[in-house]
Amino acid sequence: MSDSASRIVVSDLSIRYGEVTAVNGVSFEVGRGEHVTLLGPSGCGKTTTLRAIAGLEQPAIGTISIDGEVMYDAIERRNVPTEHRGVSMVFQSYAVWPHMTVLGNVAYGLRVRKLASSELSAKVERALDLVQMRHLADRPASKLSGGQQQRVALARAIAFSPTVVLFDEPLSNLDAKLRAEMRLELRELQRQLGITSVYVTHDQEEALAISDRVIVMNVGVIEQIGTPEQIYNRPRNRFVADFVGSANLIRGRVGKPLANGGTIEFMADGGHVLRATAPHALRGGETEVAVRTAYIEIGKTADANQLPGTVRRRMFHGDFVQYVIDCPLGQLIVRRPPTNLVAEGEDIELSFSPEHCILLEG
Amino acid sequence: MTAPVKGWLRSGNHWQGAITLPVLLVVAFLVLLPVVFLLEESLNTGDPMAFPPQQYGLANYAAMLEEDLQVIVNTVVIAVTATMMAVVIGFTLAWILTRTNVPGRDRLERLMQLPYYMTPLVGALAWAVLASPKSGFFNQVWRWAGGEGDLFNIYSMFGIAWIMALFEGTVAFVMISAAMKSMDPALEESARVIGASKLRTALTVTLPLVMPGVLGATLFVFAEMLGSFAAALVIGIPARVYVITTAIWDSTLSYPPAYGRASAMGLALFVVMFAMLSGYRWMVARGSFATITGKAFRPRTMDMGRLAWPLFAVCALYIVLAVALPLAALLLTSLERFATALLSQAQFTLANYEMALALGPVRTALANSLLLGLGVATVGVLVMALLVWIIYRSEMVGRGAVEYLVMFPQAVPRLVFGLALLWAWLNMPIPIYGTLWLLALAYFTVMLPIGVRTLAGVVLQVDKSLEECARVCGAGWLYQLRTISLPLLKPGVIAAWLLIFMASVRELGVSVFLMGPNAKVIAPSIVGAFASSGIELTAAMALIQTFTVVVALMILFRLTRGMTRELT
Repeated sequence: MSDSASRIVVSDLSIRYGEVTAVNGVSFEVGRGEHVTLLGPSGCGKTTTLRAIAGLEQPAIGTISIDGEVMYDAIERRNVPTEHRGVSMVFQSYAVWPHMTVLGNVAYGLRVRKLASSELSAKVERALDLVQMRHLADRPASKLSGGQQQRVALARAIAFSPTVVLFDEPLSNLDAKLRAEMRLELRELQRQLGITSVYVTHDQEEALAISDRVIVMNVGVIEQIGTPEQIYNRPRNRFVADFVGSANLIRGRVGKPLANGGTIEFMADGGHVLRATAPHALRGGETEVAVRTAYIEIGKTADANQLPGTVRRRMFHGDFVQYVIDCPLGQLIVRRPPTNLVAEGEDIELSFSPEHCILLEG
Repeated sequence: MTAPVKGWLRSGNHWQGAITLPVLLVVAFLVLLPVVFLLEESLNTGDPMAFPPQQYGLANYAAMLEEDLQVIVNTVVIAVTATMMAVVIGFTLAWILTRTNVPGRDRLERLMQLPYYMTPLVGALAWAVLASPKSGFFNQVWRWAGGEGDLFNIYSMFGIAWIMALFEGTVAFVMISAAMKSMDPALEESARVIGASKLRTALTVTLPLVMPGVLGATLFVFAEMLGSFAAALVIGIPARVYVITTAIWDSTLSYPPAYGRASAMGLALFVVMFAMLSGYRWMVARGSFATITGKAFRPRTMDMGRLAWPLFAVCALYIVLAVALPLAALLLTSLERFATALLSQAQFTLANYEMALALGPVRTALANSLLLGLGVATVGVLVMALLVWIIYRSEMVGRGAVEYLVMFPQAVPRLVFGLALLWAWLNMPIPIYGTLWLLALAYFTVMLPIGVRTLAGVVLQVDKSLEECARVCGAGWLYQLRTISLPLLKPGVIAAWLLIFMASVRELGVSVFLMGPNAKVIAPSIVGAFASSGIELTAAMALIQTFTVVVALMILFRLTRGMTRELT
């Protein structure tokens, strides 16, 4: 059932806690060397799914296989214990063992595998070098800062050369600056080692920045799977448009398809007609389009939707400026670079291209 | 899929049920059965020694109201007095130690635990030495200085209450300071920022927020005082002041023993205490503490300026009254031929210690207590660890019931539990009454709550992901247990062991009923020596017992320095 291109295959996975269904029929595949992120708000089932892959949660329904080998199958009652699944994991709390040194922590997985001591120390050193922690090898783990613990947890997870590494919100306990740094390092490390990884986060920015593919989850089901660009540019529904990035949602109804591929007419409430893109097959019942706040331009552009508007509020954020603009579609949020500021109260022209005006599933 | 099937699937789970069920049955047998026996006996209106009873009725309960009204009045008066003193002392000390910049605060806070470890028995003996009429040290010194009559008389209702408050009231301090510590200082700061004065803030914000904690402590301490035994035994019986616990004890001494009467009184006491503790739980659960989060803050302390030293003196005075003076008095007495505070008249000798260690019954009692301490602590910790694992780490059906059962002995006054065990095992076809085996079983049962709570505290501190991570790294269950779980739990296991050891060595309430002629233990022997031999020998015995506990305590403190602090 799994072709060799996929490292991990999860199909039809459901996990229940008593009466509560935490994960409800989730299926996806992760290719070799691919970095896939499960993204969603807290309680969406992303961590539960990850823990099920590690064998730390017991699904009610579904199968999980890794490298073509079935790890869990509800019907056949097959459940390979965690320690025999050959995956590795970085925990949200880091789970660095306080009664050991840094070296003791990193060497653990190798000692379990009974490696010869020369090979063991070589591998430990390599792992510590990768996270730049070699100078602290003999320090007791209880005397490490948060960032250092993070690195030890990472080194421990990769030291025994696993093919799959699972990350459970590994950066959520770090401060913003350190988080941005570690993000870059993680991506680098992941490329260098060629490991397959599944990463869980609620931080959409993080998910977009470090993933090959993103799986957006909500209340136990998958809302959309795609590359970061697909998720951002072509959100499938209201939840994805709203949760990933920031978007204006405009209500109305679908008009007739236009000649050039995928473009349709969309009659916004209030009578304004927009040209929009329908990236997903039309099913009827669609009533909303989404326009990313960053994709609305101030000024006229050729071959785009054009609207007159008045600047109601302007907020300076530094990296961008956020405007609240009154226009025939209601109030729109527009984010522009902090160059060419427009004053509050000024009348302006808005424009956005039809390919950035995405019809959402109803 | 249903829960049992799910449980079956999990590797290695199918034997869990096979463990829980027997454990549940054994714990229920140990914990609940004695109380059932007690209930039955309290309704026995025929021959009190007959089992099963030949006649049932409520006569025993009726007799309590008719004949023992004075006992009930005494109990209430003493418990109320002691509770008031304990709460005033506890509140004052808690406030000084959490909210002011009193010098040496951390050290003082640790010292506050000492009176609890002194035990009310040793405290009562010491205060008998200090403040009995005529021969008490205070009164000796008073007359030597030219005073007339007696300054103090410990053999009074107030005397009993005073000892209870000093040695059993520590829990009030612990509970109130916990309430004060868990208050977010921002709540007070925001009142100040809005413009309230210090005094207004204290009256309108601090006090209302701390009040539920104080009320809870009051209720809790009052329940404890109702069931308190040691001070009432040592001081009350010579003073002819009987409270309910000593009345229970006394009615089992008559011939024939009035077990029915004793059971009725014991059960009534249990019901009242249980109601109060339930009331306390309800208060806590209802969320009167809504603003008090579980988090511990270090509240902003007030700069007391020159007042800091007088406040220090208040704390020091408490330590002097509850620890230093009693120990000094006992030490002095134990080294003298005749107890006297006037050193010029003293004849110093080691004869009391020689006698205590040479006297057959005392020696065996001491040896038995140590043996029981070692045995119960060692076996107990193992069994309790299993219980903790079942309750907090497994996903088995019925673990809530196990937890409830394990905590149950806490709600039963020690003495009443002793009586219940006595009656149950007198009538059980297993002939262990009067042997150390029964004492061991009884100690284990009454120490279940403290042992399980201590172990659970450590288990819950250990993040589950630390263990999960070992599994992900490829470690099997046993390897994980050996390399991760056990090393992390070690300090907690040792702490629990020491606590159980200490509690066993000083146990009185259960021991007085279950001790046999061939199975004596130290605490009741000390009481016996006080009643029949000289105070000098008693003092030596009490100090030997205290010394044993102190050694264990010192190890405990050293071990737990980095760990949790509130091991009460």
